[in-house]
Amino acid sequence: MDFAFLSIAELGTLLRRKKSSATELATYFLDRLERVGPQLNAVVTVTRERALAEAAQADREITAGKWRGPLHGIPYGVKDLLATKDYPTTWGAEPYRQQKFDSDATVVERLGAAGAVLCAKLAMVELAGGMGYNQANASFTGPGKTPWNTAYWSGGSSSGPGAAVAAGLVPFAIGSETSGSILTPSAYCGITGLRPTYGLVSRHGAMALAWTMDKLGPLARSADDCAAVLAVIAGKDPKDPSSVARGFRMMAVAQPKYRVGIPKNADTGIQPEVAANFRAALKVLADKLEIVEDVELPDLPYGAVAGMIIAAEGASAFDDLLKDGRLSQLTAPEDRTGGYPALAVTAPDYLRALRVRRPMQRALDDFLKKFDALAVPTRTTVANPIDKSFRDGWPGITGGANVIGPTNVVGVPGISVPNGFGVQNLPTGLSFTARAFDEAKLVTLARLYQSRSDWHTRKPPLAG
Amino acid sequence: MMALSRREFAEQLALMAAAPWFIEDLKAGPAPQQPQQAAEPSALAKALAEAIRLRYPDRFSAEDLATITRSIDGRLRAVERLYQTALTNGDEPDFVYSVYRGDD
Repeated sequence: MDFAFLSIAELGTLLRRKKSSATELATYFLDRLERVGPQLNAVVTVTRERALAEAAQADREITAGKWRGPLHGIPYGVKDLLATKDYPTTWGAEPYRQQKFDSDATVVERLGAAGAVLCAKLAMVELAGGMGYNQANASFTGPGKTPWNTAYWSGGSSSGPGAAVAAGLVPFAIGSETSGSILTPSAYCGITGLRPTYGLVSRHGAMALAWTMDKLGPLARSADDCAAVLAVIAGKDPKDPSSVARGFRMMAVAQPKYRVGIPKNADTGIQPEVAANFRAALKVLADKLEIVEDVELPDLPYGAVAGMIIAAEGASAFDDLLKDGRLSQLTAPEDRTGGYPALAVTAPDYLRALRVRRPMQRALDDFLKKFDALAVPTRTTVANPIDKSFRDGWPGITGGANVIGPTNVVGVPGISVPNGFGVQNLPTGLSFTARAFDEAKLVTLARLYQSRSDWHTRKPPLAG
Repeated sequence: MMALSRREFAEQLALMAAAPWFIEDLKAGPAPQQPQQAAEPSALAKALAEAIRLRYPDRFSAEDLATITRSIDGRLRAVERLYQTALTNGDEPDFVYSVYRGDD
């Protein structure tokens, strides 16, 4: 049976009805990870032994009638910045290629407790891109490739989760986002990605790039699948002081109409196909949306704040690499010097950025509360070619609205869904962004769109 | 193409080293390297880069140092904008320090 592109719910139904077993599913996806994964540079480690052990346990429990929930027996992968015992956790970077931890990250623990089956540690941009990479080839595993066209990038920094989910190597994966690292690979790989509110998901056991901006979240085939995963991984964790005492339960936010703001210039100066797909997607939802055009985010120094925070926190998080010079071992040449300028950041300037972020949070929340969501094309172009720098990939595309940046600085959630194809038959994405902890509203909107479109069910040419 | 304002230019430069995705998200005009290459880094940027060179004297090529200097220069300009946002003495950083007391 072909399991590769079934949803979590469909796979769960097969397990509950004894049409398949967790061991059969694990074996199937492990084989795909080993066979197709290298063609996409998507996999660091296939965790075969652990997967088969977890699957066997799931089978025993399901046979005994102990049903843990919708993820029970479902295979998955994690970006290789999440600690897992018994396997290396490389952070995509040569200096950490042999690194091991003696415990699992909280997210991995929670997925294990839900009965999910860890099948792979997935590739990523080295150090989650914190040293300033400017090309796809920025990981010791090589450039991540989108299965839609392997001459193009799968996006970063969750390059492996994006490619692996899109190619049907795992039903879902966990990625991380400091500034675009879930939404971008979701758009470039034609899948659904959900960036939760900062603090909703514990970061314990995850590589830190910027403690006050890092978020963990799911990449999957649909908004429903993302919601099922988020429901398991969200919640307070005593090991992560920034985590909040809120879980996530998917309750559809049914409204006659959803008020959606379109930021000024959202679809001008971007690739025409991306713009056309964006407008076509809005048309699909026309009867359910009250669209407000040309809205403008509060004029605040989002970029300066984010740059200062990521520079200072990243330089501190990797001060060992800076001190002993192991940055020189990184793959992308620009990453080998990219951390040093942060040594010139002063403590008062960093604190100034943190102080400015408070009124920034309030201003952006006041702005967002006028809408159910903002809608933008997730990226202004399709995926970059892997053999060119980002700046040379799609020259002349200088427009679009900056939403990913500001919303990451203040930590509010976003979701990206596939909404068509652009040049080179590469996928494009539609994003919704909302107020803090409004994930259910985002999932509702994305689910509504996916109930009326089939882009999320398309299979890439490189599907094995 | 729209011209970059000084503020936008400074923000883009500041982010270059730290967060390439912000650069894409801040697109408002020509690629940021174009004005950057033409501009001479400030004396302060050069001095700060020299301090980093002194800290690690055998680590950098001349090209590396030029890259580091440009990046510092961009960040220094971005810092200006941080100080244009009005704050009062009571506006604290967005984290809360908690006192600790372990088990008795």
